[in-house]
Amino acid sequence: MTHYAMVIDLNTCVGCNACMAACAMENQTPVWSNRWRTYVHDKEIGTGDSVHRRFFPRLCNHCDNPPCMSVCPTGATYKLDNGIVLVDDERCMGCQACAMACPYAARYPITYSDIDAGEEFYGSDAQRHHPTVDKCSFCAHRVVQGLEPACVETCVGNSRMFGDLDDPEDPVAKLVASGVARPLLPHIGTGPNVFYINDLERRG
Amino acid sequence: MDVTMNYYTQDIWTWWFAIYLYFGGLGAATVTVAFLTDMYMKQHKELVLWGAISGIIMLSVGSGLLFWHLLDHFAVIHVLNPLVWILKPDAWIAWGTQFILWMMIWGVLYALPYMVESRFLTGIPLLKTVLGWPIVHKLAALCQRFHKLLGWLSTVNGIGTAVYTGLVIQSFPAVALWHNPGVPLLFTVSAFSTALAFLLLVLTLVIKREEDHHIRVFYERTDLMLIATELVILFSFFQYMRAGSESAFHSAQLLWNDWGWMIGFIGFGLIVPFMLELKGVLKGWSSHVPIVTASVLVLVGGYLLRHYFMYTGVYAQPW
Repeated sequence: MTHYAMVIDLNTCVGCNACMAACAMENQTPVWSNRWRTYVHDKEIGTGDSVHRRFFPRLCNHCDNPPCMSVCPTGATYKLDNGIVLVDDERCMGCQACAMACPYAARYPITYSDIDAGEEFYGSDAQRHHPTVDKCSFCAHRVVQGLEPACVETCVGNSRMFGDLDDPEDPVAKLVASGVARPLLPHIGTGPNVFYINDLERRG
Repeated sequence: MDVTMNYYTQDIWTWWFAIYLYFGGLGAATVTVAFLTDMYMKQHKELVLWGAISGIIMLSVGSGLLFWHLLDHFAVIHVLNPLVWILKPDAWIAWGTQFILWMMIWGVLYALPYMVESRFLTGIPLLKTVLGWPIVHKLAALCQRFHKLLGWLSTVNGIGTAVYTGLVIQSFPAVALWHNPGVPLLFTVSAFSTALAFLLLVLTLVIKREEDHHIRVFYERTDLMLIATELVILFSFFQYMRAGSESAFHSAQLLWNDWGWMIGFIGFGLIVPFMLELKGVLKGWSSHVPIVTASVLVLVGGYLLRHYFMYTGVYAQPW
C-alpha cells in the first residue's frame, strides 16, 4: 500500500516562496485574501551576533489520525487509502470545526467573495464554485498522474521531497526511518506525515 | 526537532460561538428541568410552557448564530439529515445538531397538551388559529397519552445537548484548555446551574405562586450544590493548567490574570451567588431580592465562562 509523505529540509529552504506561488497557481488559492495552502514563515532565532534566519514551510500534515476529519460533521473531509486527506467542497458547510481542530493551522476559509474574486481572476479556468474550508491536497490530482506536488517540483533548493513511506527504498522513507526527519507536535497523537530536517544542529 | 514556539489564540469561533454554547446548554437544561419537575415533582402547566418556549427560543437563537456564520448555508442539509448519526458518529457537531433538533420536536409535543389549554397562547392571533385546528387537538390528546415518554425523549436529548456543548470543544486536541475530560463536565454542570437560576427567576418574578415554594427551595438547594461543584471543577482546572502542557500554561496565564474572569466570573458569577443562596437555604431571606440577584449573577456568569473559554484556548505552534 502507498503511504504518501513529505520531508522538508530546513537547511536548504532559501525562503524564495516559489512553493507558495506554484501552489497558489496550481490550486487557485485565494492569495488576494492572503490565504495559502502552504506558507513559508520567516523567523529570526537567537540574539546578538548569533542570529539565524529560519525559513519554515508549513502545510497540511495529512495526518494518519486527522482531527479535522473526525470533527467534520458533514463528512466533507475524508482520507484516501494512500494517506492523502482531501476536502469535498460540495459537502462542506463551512462550520470551520476543522480549522479549530487542526494543530498545524492548515485549514482556511474560502468564502463566496473569494469565489467571485477567483472567477474574475481566472475567468473560464476558475475551478472553485463552492465555499469551503480548504487545505493542501498534496496535489492529489497531479500525484495520480505520476507527477510530484507543485510545491515539490518547483522547490529551487530541493528542500521539499515527496515519497512513499511504505517503500523502504524511497529516500523519503529512509530519511523518516533514520530519525533525521521528524514530525511536528507528535505528542498530540495525530500521526503527521510531513517531516522536517532540523537546521539548528548544523548551524551550531 | 528544535523548534521555536509561538502561542496563538484563535479568532474563528469567538463571542458568537460562546453564545451558541451558552444558549445551547441553558436552553436544553431549562427544558429538561421544567419537564422533570412537571413529571416527578408537581404537575405545572405554566412552568412547562415557560421552560419549553424559552428553551426553544434560546436554542433557536444559538443555532441561528452558528448557521449565520456557516460559509455555505445550503450544505447544512447534511447535518440536518437524521442519518448523520450513522454517517458521522465521530463528529460532535453532528450529534449536537440532532440532539437540539429532536429536543425541540419532543419539547413542543410534550408542551402541546398544555399549549392548547393556555389562555395566553390561544389569545395570540396566528397561534390561536393553529392551536384551534382539530388535528392539533387530536395530536395534543395523543401527546397527553404518551406524555411521560415524550418527556423522557426530550430530557435525554436535552442532557445530550448540554453535554455536547462541552464535547464539541473537547474534540480539538491542540488546545489543552479544551481537550480534557473536565470540559464536558464543567459545561454540563454550568448548563443546569444556569437553567435552575433561570427557572427560579420565572417562578419568582412571573408565575409568583405561594404553593410553588417547595419547588423554589429545591431549585435553590440544587443550584447551590451545582455552584459548589463548579467551583471544585474550576479549582481542578487551575491545578491542571499550572504545568504539564505549554498550551495549558499559557491559557492559565491569560485566565487567572484577567479581572473579568477572576472578579467577574469566579467572584460575581459563582462565589457571590453561592453565598446568597447558602444564606437563603440555611436561614432564609425576608425578600426575593437576594435570590433574584443570585440568579441574575449565575446567568451572567454562565456566559462569561464560555466567553473566556473561547478566547483563552491557546495553540502552541512550533514555527
